[in-house]
Amino acid sequence: MGITLQNVNFTYQKGTPFEGRALFDINLAIENKQFTAVIGHTGSGKSTIMQLLNGLHVPTEGMVVVDDITIAPDSKTKDIKSVRKKVGLVFQFPESQLFEETVLKDVAFGPQNFGVSEEKAEEIAKEKLKLVGITEELFEKNPFELSGGQMRRVAIAGILAMEPNVLVLDEPTAGLDPKGRRELMSLFKQLHKSGMSIVLVTHLMDDVANFADYVYVLQEGKIVLKGKPTDVFQQVDFLENIQLGVPKITKFAHNLTKRGLKIEKLPITIAEFVEVVING
Amino acid sequence: MDKLILGRYIPGDSIVHRLDPRSKLLAMFVFISIIFWANNLITNIILFSFTVIAILLSKVKLGFFIRGVRPMIGLILFTTFFQMFFIQGGTIIFEFGFLRITDYSLGQAVMIFIRFVLIIFFSTLLTLTTTPLSLSDAVESLLTPLKPFKVPVHEIGLMLSLSLRFVPTLMDDTTRIMNAQRARGVDFGEGNIIQKVKSVIPILIPLFASSLKRADALATAMESRGYQGGDGRTKYRLLHWGLKDSLLMLTLLGLTVALFLLKST
Repeated sequence: MGITLQNVNFTYQKGTPFEGRALFDINLAIENKQFTAVIGHTGSGKSTIMQLLNGLHVPTEGMVVVDDITIAPDSKTKDIKSVRKKVGLVFQFPESQLFEETVLKDVAFGPQNFGVSEEKAEEIAKEKLKLVGITEELFEKNPFELSGGQMRRVAIAGILAMEPNVLVLDEPTAGLDPKGRRELMSLFKQLHKSGMSIVLVTHLMDDVANFADYVYVLQEGKIVLKGKPTDVFQQVDFLENIQLGVPKITKFAHNLTKRGLKIEKLPITIAEFVEVVING
Repeated sequence: MDKLILGRYIPGDSIVHRLDPRSKLLAMFVFISIIFWANNLITNIILFSFTVIAILLSKVKLGFFIRGVRPMIGLILFTTFFQMFFIQGGTIIFEFGFLRITDYSLGQAVMIFIRFVLIIFFSTLLTLTTTPLSLSDAVESLLTPLKPFKVPVHEIGLMLSLSLRFVPTLMDDTTRIMNAQRARGVDFGEGNIIQKVKSVIPILIPLFASSLKRADALATAMESRGYQGGDGRTKYRLLHWGLKDSLLMLTLLGLTVALFLLKST
């Protein structure tokens, strides 16, 4: 179970003068019920990895294994369509993918594509809309009448309605205000607790520290660092060198150690910091 | 869509890249007009060598042009075959039912083929070596004489440069929306014709919606930066007509005269 990438290489527009290599020999495993974060600079290949996870891209070399399905360079769309149901992808600014006349129909669109009947799909849609915090009086509204934050919730509900096992999020909180950001992140945490695997693509280190179980650091199409967030964020100098940085509190603690405070392991959340300061 | 070469620009530094876009645009118009005069061996050879020299001067790989023709090869061959089978006259080489190939129709078909390929090569050469922005500057500048006839030259130029600027953005949008809908289980290009048409709706509506939003934001941003139309504006990008541009025009004049004299009537 889970998703593994084995020696995956990926090149865009292979065989044309516009050819561009995006990934180099990537090995990565996303275990079941794990909250995985993928971080990296713009253009480091995060989004490409994300689209490999559900078969939107097929690797140029190597293979992607999702549960019992293998996606190899010569895989056909027909064989990997079931992967799309298992792995739900929430793209950056997902509100731009809404198109139906009503909120409810739009959310029900996904499951219907996988053969769920209209009534059943609307039932699921109602449930998922409530889950993301959209109230009933908005169900029959046109999605284009909603506010930006509400549109994004509807779009996310549209992915959740397909009832995927793995939810892949590409910077889900980009462009939201702090309150909206907190609410969405706690929604993902709740989904994770209920047994869903989550892959979060982000460059907000605080989110990684607060939520992730495991983190992969990408640079120019290669994995340069991986491990538990507590271990990865010890490398303050390295991460700052590749212009990613560490959580604010880790940076603060790091600065304190430079001025003589003795800390065995740099804390990555505020709670950990408080504990270190009180006990140490 | 990635395979389409026509209409894309490859940055480079060759004599063709450095030409004034106006002269390149004019050259293409003249070239495509006189291509129809070439109706015998010698004129075709002249045109062909002119194109090959231009391509060599641009330092873009020849294989690239051949690949550019590939998406259109079906259409070209279709037309060519019709020419070959249905033109009357000349001595018959081959006959089968109503299909008949004569030496004359064969010649016509070859000519049509060459014309298509040359036109595609030449227009590909223009777009590969000229940035879209300078191309739209060239159009605006070439249309300027029409200003007294109430042709909105500045607006045409502005719309052209805005559209060209947003082609890649819209292409990115399209791919992004298509991928997002694919992730929701839409199959593009599968099923019967009705299903195929239906699967376009989830791309078209978001695309229109985002274009309207973009247009709105762009208009606001332009107004807040003091845009009030074409009158009284100065230009940042100036076009320079140099010696090499005059030389190109002279070459084309020579080519035109040569073709006019050598074409068979």
